[in-house]
Amino acid sequence: MIAKVDYPNINDRKPDGLKSDGTPYKVLVVDDSMFVVKQIGQILTSEGFEIVGTAVDGSEALEKYKELHPNVDLVTMDITMPKVDGVTALEQILAFDKEARIIMISALGKQDLVKKALMIGAKNYIVKPLDRKKVLERVVQCLK
Amino acid sequence: MRVEYINPFVEATFSILKEVLNTKVERGELYLKPTSHPVLGVAAIVGLAGDVEGRVLFDMARETAIAIASIMNGEELKDFDELGKATIAELANMITAQAVTKLHDLGFRFDLTPPALITGINMEVSSPNVEALIVPVTLPQGKLEINVAIRERA
Amino acid sequence: MCAAVTEVQDQSSHRPEEGREKIDFKMITFSLGGREYGIDIMKVKEISKIDRFTYVPNGSPFLRGVYNLRGEIIPIIDFRIMFHLPLKPIEAGKAEDVLILNTEDQVMGVIVDSIDKVIGVSSQRVKPAHPLFHDINVQYLKGIVEYGSSLYIVLDVDRVLGVTEERLPEQPATVEAPAAVAELEATVYAPAGEEQSAGSLELGFIRDTLAAFRSFVLSDLNLGWVKGRLGEWRDLRSSEGRGVQLAEPSEADDFLESFYSPYTGELWGETYAGEIEGLLPEVSGGTLSAWNPGCGKGYESYSFAALLARHYHGKRIKVWANDNDLLGISMAPTLTFHEEAIPPLLAPFVTKARNGFGFKQELKDSILFEYHDILHPNPFPEVDLVLARDILSFFSPAQQQTLVDLFRSKLRVGGILILGSNERMPESGWREIRNGGVYGYERLADEEPLNKEQVT
Repeated sequence: MIAKVDYPNINDRKPDGLKSDGTPYKVLVVDDSMFVVKQIGQILTSEGFEIVGTAVDGSEALEKYKELHPNVDLVTMDITMPKVDGVTALEQILAFDKEARIIMISALGKQDLVKKALMIGAKNYIVKPLDRKKVLERVVQCLK
Repeated sequence: MRVEYINPFVEATFSILKEVLNTKVERGELYLKPTSHPVLGVAAIVGLAGDVEGRVLFDMARETAIAIASIMNGEELKDFDELGKATIAELANMITAQAVTKLHDLGFRFDLTPPALITGINMEVSSPNVEALIVPVTLPQGKLEINVAIRERA
Repeated sequence: MCAAVTEVQDQSSHRPEEGREKIDFKMITFSLGGREYGIDIMKVKEISKIDRFTYVPNGSPFLRGVYNLRGEIIPIIDFRIMFHLPLKPIEAGKAEDVLILNTEDQVMGVIVDSIDKVIGVSSQRVKPAHPLFHDINVQYLKGIVEYGSSLYIVLDVDRVLGVTEERLPEQPATVEAPAAVAELEATVYAPAGEEQSAGSLELGFIRDTLAAFRSFVLSDLNLGWVKGRLGEWRDLRSSEGRGVQLAEPSEADDFLESFYSPYTGELWGETYAGEIEGLLPEVSGGTLSAWNPGCGKGYESYSFAALLARHYHGKRIKVWANDNDLLGISMAPTLTFHEEAIPPLLAPFVTKARNGFGFKQELKDSILFEYHDILHPNPFPEVDLVLARDILSFFSPAQQQTLVDLFRSKLRVGGILILGSNERMPESGWREIRNGGVYGYERLADEEPLNKEQVT
């Protein structure tokens, strides 16, 4: 005789991008590469995050942050950008809002620039190529 | 090119290509060319500064660029459009950055500039006569040449 | 696979008695369909026995296939098929005698029945061929010549190979081919008017085979050594009952054994280091720069850097070492060795490494090892010294000139160029300095009169 077993609902995991009240976390994506912006966008929106703005360099990043504030929960910040780089932008945004949550995205590994960013106040960093699992882990950890 | 710089570039090329394309990557024998002009049709260039001056150039045919960009975007790109260009530029950036990181661990200080992408139409690359190290790579998508032309800061 | 070549004999001792005739035409003789033929040795790059080549479909019947000659893909033509001559049944796997010929635009292999020897004749003695008498169309013949008791039919290689419409598509060379025999300047031949001696004929053979087997180029740079060595070699070989000719690469290696500078591929001993030290120039600034092309695995670079550190005590030493052999030079920055092998010159710079001994960081920091081809644009700054041991002799004469000019442009006035122990700088614009067994060349200013003063 085959016993009947009740399987619990395995699909009740909440998407990473939603707050406890059900609204999405709002993200500003800063990167000079259209490809990376698209990639990050795809990863995050698939988990319920909302991309509220993008910027292609550090000065645009500061502008957008000021515009959108306080409706930005997280900024993803590329390090190597033309005009104003990511570390400088990090500094400037933190000067404007010391509670800003910024995660650095870089192709450079744990190097001087990344270390400097962490010391200045970036919450964490992610190394490219972007791995979906890694990105979500770090972002979630960043938002706690 | 300084001997210690070679492996980091070769390893970074392999590592990134395998990760990003998830495919067989074959390397040909390294060799030296008297100049560093790109020759295949599409070139992504990343500048280097610090302990050295020069640049890394990623040279490939247009079809190869489109094929690689398609895989990286998870969609079939019909043309080498803005997205395709941004994708190849980012690939060049990642490979160079990983090499620079490895070199950093070895004690060498390199900085890199954001990548530039040039195609057949505007192939006039002004490059002084600098010898280039060529790392030939064969992918299912076609041939790719990593062309490293750097000079020690005397 | 390519195997050893058949013995090539020097018959010059049997040359015709006709007194003052010049031996100005050398040919390799071979048999074809029962007759004896000869072709101009200047067209012959090398001779081989080949037992396996790759068949090419849709080729002419006389195109037997292609063969990989050290990275270059060459067509293999069968002369017997080409000239409709009786063919011995071809045994599969049996090595065939092949002449590797160099024409203006192609290298190709030609199969014959058997390769005989090299003979030298006077071109006056080559008589025109009569159209009726030969198996091969007279347009392909230079003529016939009598030698000893045999009659040789002399083929016109360029005409014959002009016939072969089969041209394979250009294969990019993956390996540098040795300097083609035809490219070499005829520096060995006596100027016009002098008699050709058996000696200069031999010198020609040696020259050709050293170039083919080991890319060693005979020129004014090393002519003195080669002539001396040839004398020794002749004695050595005659005591063994053998001729002078180098039949295969290993014999070329034997011949060249005494050419290489002391401590090639090794750390320098004290006496040699002392001799080199005697060549070093006065340097006024706080830095001494040196360029060491062709450094190989780095032994000479470390030895040289240690010597410079010792001699120019207190100055900052910078050695730019390079080679175009990636495999060799990639080991140089982390060179390790064992205790027994440390000479006194290097002892102060040695430290324990993970597997044996290595060099202290200060010595390592003074050398920059680069993978570089010296014929390419040069990234190095002006230097006080150039250490180029045994490298010029492996470049073609034109390249040698380019390199000497390059050395000259990189050296400051008063700087010193050190070549291999058996290489001599023949040019003006340099002052020769000798110390024991080593020679240095001081770079003179450009305006100075073009006289080379010898100082011993």
